[in-house]
Amino acid sequence: MRTLAPTRLPIYRLVLRSQVTRARLAALLGLGLVGIVVGAALGASPRADLALENNLIVPGQLLTGTRFVNTFGLSLVVPVTALVFAAAALGDPDEEGTLVYLWLRPVRRSRLVFAAAAASFTVAWPVVVIPLGIAAAATGGGADLVTGTIGSATVALVAYTGIFCALGLVTKRSLVWGLLYIFIWEGFVATAADTAAQMAVRTYSRSLLESITDVPLRGTFVDTPASIIVPLLVGVVALAFATWRLTRRDID
Amino acid sequence: MSALIEVDHASKWFGELVAVSDVSFEVGPGVTALLGPNGAGTSTVLRMLCGLTPPSQGTVRVLGGDPRRDLELTRRIGLVPQQEALFDNLSAFEFVQLAAVLLRLPDPADAARRALDVVELPADDKRPVGSFSKGMRQRVKVAQALVADPEVVVLDEPLTGLDPRQRLHLIALFQRLGADGRCVLVSSHVLDEVERFGSRVLVMAQGRLAAEGDFRDIRELMDDRPHRIRIRTDDPRRLAAGLLGADGVVGVRLEGDATIVDTLDAAVLRRAVAVVARDRGLRLHEVTPLDDDLESVFRYLVEGR
Repeated sequence: MRTLAPTRLPIYRLVLRSQVTRARLAALLGLGLVGIVVGAALGASPRADLALENNLIVPGQLLTGTRFVNTFGLSLVVPVTALVFAAAALGDPDEEGTLVYLWLRPVRRSRLVFAAAAASFTVAWPVVVIPLGIAAAATGGGADLVTGTIGSATVALVAYTGIFCALGLVTKRSLVWGLLYIFIWEGFVATAADTAAQMAVRTYSRSLLESITDVPLRGTFVDTPASIIVPLLVGVVALAFATWRLTRRDID
Repeated sequence: MSALIEVDHASKWFGELVAVSDVSFEVGPGVTALLGPNGAGTSTVLRMLCGLTPPSQGTVRVLGGDPRRDLELTRRIGLVPQQEALFDNLSAFEFVQLAAVLLRLPDPADAARRALDVVELPADDKRPVGSFSKGMRQRVKVAQALVADPEVVVLDEPLTGLDPRQRLHLIALFQRLGADGRCVLVSSHVLDEVERFGSRVLVMAQGRLAAEGDFRDIRELMDDRPHRIRIRTDDPRRLAAGLLGADGVVGVRLEGDATIVDTLDAAVLRRAVAVVARDRGLRLHEVTPLDDDLESVFRYLVEGR
């Protein structure tokens, strides 16, 4: 008996192929390269062996490295890279008019959405997490910083991928709205109040980084399990919303 | 006629814009042309038939089911959408094979080869469809629509960009599908194109169904309506005077250096113009029908003017 071809994998491969464009990769790898260079420069610059931070004594290199990963990696590289890939995963086919060739098939909408998000995550992860991990190592912050960087960036990437994948189906200006979310909401509004901070992915990734490196960071009030579970949950809920949206919206 | 497509008082509006207004029709096996000028609502009707957009009011049934809700129905409907976009980095074979895989055909590669063969595209062409001409892309779209041998084939302006030979080939293909018992619904805004389908016609204008029936009846109706002709001559007044009372002329007026004539029979008028011009020694510069474009035809069908 012949087995029927699975549908999830072709969609995943299709989105993967369309995501990897030279321009995108060059721009985002360039950003990662900047991180590595800056990380190396920080690692090479002289530091005090120990530093006092929030009444805690922490190694100077670890403190500098953690702050760098928090500011450059979790606040900029991770969300922007996720935005570029995830918003395009279904947003590009929608805008170009090719979504119809996926929609008008007997494929569950959730499958379509999750395959597209998985493809986006597959491309974004090596582009963002590997250079950040190298940059973290280059700062001389040690194994904990590298682990914290990889862990927090990965967890944040899951959440951002879900959010921006959904955003790509909600608006044709997903890049603009995504950047507004990253820089205005997460970078500004969420720093002003704890309630708003709870609705920012960055709070959770930062908290996870803090708990792994033991370096106190500003705006972290989430315990470790929550800093892992909430972003993962946010990613899944956002994809569920994207599925709902794809089921009900008009297709051009 | 056993209806494979049933549209019952369907309307569709986008905000303030009414794209389709209270349209009802049934379509059975064979080729049916959906004729309408740009903005008439034909694409919206086709999109509703494929479930891409739900009707705001009324119902749309295809093969007895709701195309918007019944996911399995997509297996039995093939759509050639109007937009040109394809997954540009795939080859034609990959594109059609992807459709076959998603439609869960037992042998997607073989189905893709056969579908490409039907539209006369080589399956071993490795070039990405992004590098294809408009006509080739159009044929790729037709191939993906036919890959699962659907019972209902919906084609939105499928002949756009094709050369005359390819047009004839596809028209013959659609006729063959219709003769095989498939329900083929083709939209077009080109009257002559629809004539070649030699089929039943649904005429849409301004979001409404203006006429439906055999193409010959519609054509007759179009030919029987009043026509307006502009005639330029070296002495429009004398020409106008000569045409008053001529056979078939229902009105004459002067507009600058032109004589505008309303007639019930354009052919009779043309003969009368020649006679008047000869008898009065007038030089004719131009005889142009002002309302032979499709828009005018539709306006007449809808508004009777």
